[in-house]
Amino acid sequence: MTCVAGCDVGSLTSKAVIMDGDRIVQSVIMKSKAKPWESADEVMRQALEKAGMSMGDLAYCVGTGYGRDKMTFINEAVSEIACHGKGAQWLVPTARTVIDIGGQDCKAVKLDDAGNMVKFITNDKCASGTGRFLEVMAKVLGVELADLGALSAKSKSPVTLASACTVWAQADVIQHLNDTVPLEDIAAGVNAAMASRMAVLANNIGVARDVCMTGGVAKNEGVVASLEKALGVRIKRIRKSDPQLAGAIGAALFAKEKVDGGMR
Amino acid sequence: MKEFMEAATVLNNRRVGEWKAQGGRVVGYTCSYVPDELFHAAGILPYRIRGIGASETTIGDTYFGPFICSLPKCMLQLAGEGKFDFLDGAIITPGCDSMRRLDECWRKAGDDNPGVLPKFFFHFGVPHKYSDYTIAWFTVEIQRLKAAVEGHFGVVITDEKLAASIRLFNRGRDLLEAFDAFRTAEDPPIGGADALAVIMAGTTMPRERYTELLEGLVGGLGRSASRITGKARLMLVGSANDDVELVCAIEGASAIVVADNLCFGSRFHADRVSEDGDPIEALARRYLAKNECPRVYGEYKARLATLRHKAEQARVDGVVLQNIRFCDLHGSENGLFERDLEAAGIPCIRLEREYGPLVETGRMKMRIDAFIERIRQRRKTA
Repeated sequence: MTCVAGCDVGSLTSKAVIMDGDRIVQSVIMKSKAKPWESADEVMRQALEKAGMSMGDLAYCVGTGYGRDKMTFINEAVSEIACHGKGAQWLVPTARTVIDIGGQDCKAVKLDDAGNMVKFITNDKCASGTGRFLEVMAKVLGVELADLGALSAKSKSPVTLASACTVWAQADVIQHLNDTVPLEDIAAGVNAAMASRMAVLANNIGVARDVCMTGGVAKNEGVVASLEKALGVRIKRIRKSDPQLAGAIGAALFAKEKVDGGMR
Repeated sequence: MKEFMEAATVLNNRRVGEWKAQGGRVVGYTCSYVPDELFHAAGILPYRIRGIGASETTIGDTYFGPFICSLPKCMLQLAGEGKFDFLDGAIITPGCDSMRRLDECWRKAGDDNPGVLPKFFFHFGVPHKYSDYTIAWFTVEIQRLKAAVEGHFGVVITDEKLAASIRLFNRGRDLLEAFDAFRTAEDPPIGGADALAVIMAGTTMPRERYTELLEGLVGGLGRSASRITGKARLMLVGSANDDVELVCAIEGASAIVVADNLCFGSRFHADRVSEDGDPIEALARRYLAKNECPRVYGEYKARLATLRHKAEQARVDGVVLQNIRFCDLHGSENGLFERDLEAAGIPCIRLEREYGPLVETGRMKMRIDAFIERIRQRRKTA
């Protein structure tokens, strides 16, 4: 057994995946701590513990995410853009466009048949259209972030948020709450606003089929459905594993490539 | 290298201090369309106004408002903080609309805060097209600037002095061309951050000293055995950048900027001024013919051809198309460049950034790292 690992430290959550060949041995998703290296150490410790392994059992480890350069135990750091592309194509082999919505950024990556990046784009203006946007809105609505998708599915008359700015959209939501608009209609409006921001980004690089979505927001069916509508394409659902793990899986796959290639 | 770097990174650098201590006068300008030779011939040090070192933009924001390029805001901030008190004059051009507004904002800041506005403050018009009639207009505008400088500073700019200044600046251009050949070589002896410092120093120190330093540097590079190898070769294009740190952030550990098309960079020394005929008209022809800035209408194809030529000559692996937030000129043209350069097989990345202290290095680094990974994947599969 030659195990490799990928560790993805994001602004909201940290993820670790241990792989043996093409199989995920163990994985962990946890809330990130204030210091990225502490998140990395902790998430990796938990993954190893669950797998009954130690660092010495890993042939190679790749780190990714915002905290990648601060990880002390990795052999190599790779950008999250490349890792999400790699991980997504492992999860959905026909994927040629990957849309990832993370805690503080969102990205669209175009891939070739071999999973190489052909083009990518990330948000560079503000945090609108990121996981943080949804987190803020869920808090204002008084619902769990994970329930936002199911809640919005009940909507009959979604509201329109006037502003893409997170702070001003929050003011819009409060106004709708004061006007006693049903929660599900506001939640649907929030998801639609999120999807329309992401659609602008994805259209910028040109959407090629198949399209799949990674990151924690991929688990919000309301955003995924709104994005399908905005882009006019079906988004392939990830069934093989948790879409939030895509970056860590990609990192582990890069680690596997290193081991397979004699670590050159 | 130390003197180049100091001149490129310190506003009131040692050479400016020495010049002032000897009673010399300094006139600042905001755009590469202003002919330095005119000031040199008047015995005045031409100094390109910078925005580096501004740690906040409270003064800039007061006069400009939020939705505008942060470079002129940083310039005004520094002026308001007294960092440009060594300037005896300033020339503002309509290089772009944000920079044109610096004229009004600086004047207003001067009304509100006596002493902020240099005593000689001149709006210098620059046409947006290159044609016979705009050259004629620009020639008259340079004559107007010349008369204003002569009148304010009590100097006479003779044709002989101007011709001598043109020859000196042309010598510098020739040396920078030779320098560019080292910079773009297979395994260059100098990196992109240092190269930018070398070029920019020419806008902030006396020309005679600069030429002397350049001669030494070019000779030294020719003999140098030191080589930078194994890095992804990038070309930096787009909005004005006078910050060496931005190039450092882009280069990181795995890239080298071997070429640029920046107005603070190699665009500054492209093309010589004709040493024949009327010197004012020669200046008008050379400075207005610099079509590399997107402020010039109808020249996109020529600019694209320039980029392709530079990319080919420097054997770049990719092009970084950056623009300062709210820079409409470069922001929109970068989109066209990306489309056309990618179609020609040259990988591109577009970066939108704030100017100066607000630069988001973390997110920028993530994108640059991914771009270099894309380049490496491309190399592997080629």
